[in-house]
Amino acid sequence: MPHDHDDMFEADNATRPGRGPVDHPTMLSSCARAATAEEARFRVPYPNSLSRTSRIFALDQSAAEAMYAVTEDPWDNAHFLTVFANSHVTPDTASGDIPISHPNGAAASLDVELTGADIVVLLATDGSSEAAAEVIARECFKRKITCAGIALKRGPPSDKMEKVVNSMRKFTRVLVVAQDDDYIPAMLTALRA
Amino acid sequence: MLRKEINELLTETDAGKPMGDMFRQYWIPALLASELPEDDCPPTRVKLLGERLIAFRDSKGRYGLMDEFCAHRGVSLWFGRNEEEGLRCPYHGWKYDYTGQCIEVPSEPEESGFCEKIKLKGYPLIKVGDILWTHMGDKENRPPEPIWEFATVPAEQTYSSKRWQECNWLQAMEGGIDSSHVSFLHSGGLKTDPLFRGAKGNKYNENDKKPVFEVVESDGGLHIGARRNAEDGHYYWRVTPWIMPSFTMVPPRGDHPMHGHFWIPIDDHNCWAWSFDYHPTRALSPEERKAMQDGYGVHNQYEAPGSFRPRQNKDNDYLMDREAQKRGDSYSGIWGIAMQDASLQESMGPIVDRTKENLVSTDNGIIMARHRLRKAVVALRDKGVQPPGRTPEHQLVRSAARVLPPEQPFGDVMKEDLTAHPGVKQTSV
Repeated sequence: MPHDHDDMFEADNATRPGRGPVDHPTMLSSCARAATAEEARFRVPYPNSLSRTSRIFALDQSAAEAMYAVTEDPWDNAHFLTVFANSHVTPDTASGDIPISHPNGAAASLDVELTGADIVVLLATDGSSEAAAEVIARECFKRKITCAGIALKRGPPSDKMEKVVNSMRKFTRVLVVAQDDDYIPAMLTALRA
Repeated sequence: MLRKEINELLTETDAGKPMGDMFRQYWIPALLASELPEDDCPPTRVKLLGERLIAFRDSKGRYGLMDEFCAHRGVSLWFGRNEEEGLRCPYHGWKYDYTGQCIEVPSEPEESGFCEKIKLKGYPLIKVGDILWTHMGDKENRPPEPIWEFATVPAEQTYSSKRWQECNWLQAMEGGIDSSHVSFLHSGGLKTDPLFRGAKGNKYNENDKKPVFEVVESDGGLHIGARRNAEDGHYYWRVTPWIMPSFTMVPPRGDHPMHGHFWIPIDDHNCWAWSFDYHPTRALSPEERKAMQDGYGVHNQYEAPGSFRPRQNKDNDYLMDREAQKRGDSYSGIWGIAMQDASLQESMGPIVDRTKENLVSTDNGIIMARHRLRKAVVALRDKGVQPPGRTPEHQLVRSAARVLPPEQPFGDVMKEDLTAHPGVKQTSV
């Protein structure tokens, strides 16, 4: 394809001492000058990523309520799961024994849910499910799945929040302390859940 | 990923645009005070938030910032005569005071009062530190004057610079809260830059290239903590404050001066990257000040004296040095921390298409910042709620670095470290 002469410029050799002088005309799209709105239209239009598989676990009742508010949104390949309240999970609980369910109440299997998962997000408000967080995170670590935590604030700073943050810190690659539940869909959208 | 309409909401800052209205709720840096060095000095053009303005300092030392163009025939007042308490258009002699009020129309009888009917749009321009600040919003919503620590310490303790960055403000600002790029893009600078090298904390950076992040909402914005492994199971924390809409500070290293940035829109495709260095308790040494003037640390070199365009720019491929890249002197081959950031951010295009990005969990600082900006913009637009970051209590912040036991959340333990206390040394490693 012929190049419009206007699209060419001569680099200033004087400004490139010792840096491999450019001594020939250069196309606009062959240099840093191409960072224009006009050149942006030549960017190759295609989907540059495959669908991600996300698993979101609410670790307590209040977190589950926040999560249920967004489960009906049009997510790509996200599953929303709840750890049963009062489920007596301990850090030694086997991953296959952790009691979790889908939003419709149907029981789910952690092993099945984590198979092929790209990211796991733990939601918590009170730190009561530290053991469940550990079991899920440990399984993520084993399978090399990134685990993120969102601590949802409920009211002013409290020991409760410190507990939930501490409970998730050990297990997550990134931990967010969010003041409002709106952050859940914002983050999931940003991560293409 | 960010939806197209939200990307537009956050990146468009002309008057009447929601994000533009939000920026107009703050005092923002407009010029270096050194750009108007004396009374009746030449005026200077400045474009902010999509508005072409002229700044001048009148015979009594009052600063004016107003519409660049004469109300008569549209001549640029940059050609004007700055004399006798006003800026006079050289075409037909119309004269304006520092508020933009026309005070003389030579062709009209003085008694007619005609000039009183002519007023250029004007904004307040005040000097705090070595920066001139403006508030481009409604007078009734004017916030208290800015009290950022870097601007209020004695002059010998602080240094500011600005550079023209050829991209939208948001992608530049997002670089300031994206702590995970430091271990890669800036890795060479930690060893060689005179304003960074030698700190004990640098070792932790070098030894642990996979930091773990904690993002905590604060009243004024965010605290973004990056955690790396230290000795005896302890953690080395580097905490970056972000105050809305576009103030960030880099966590300190040793006793080096602390530094940070403002990103202020020029228009939707350009922004001012303001960079500052200061030490809370001592004067900058001559060597430190010279290093800043020479473009080290967060500062840069310029294309020409009086120009705020960096010497390394898109017209010369940022003086990319592939040999230095190969040797490992510079991870990207670009010299200097500031231009390492700017070159990559400008390469994204004037406004990056965020519908195509693939963020990962360690990008949560960016995700949360966008979330908070969006909420604040919508609250201002729909309910008139003033955004965070305008008040002194939100501005009295610092970055900090510290080694902590594993069970201690930085948000609690480092609360005082992250607050600016005049005369108190920074918390640093």
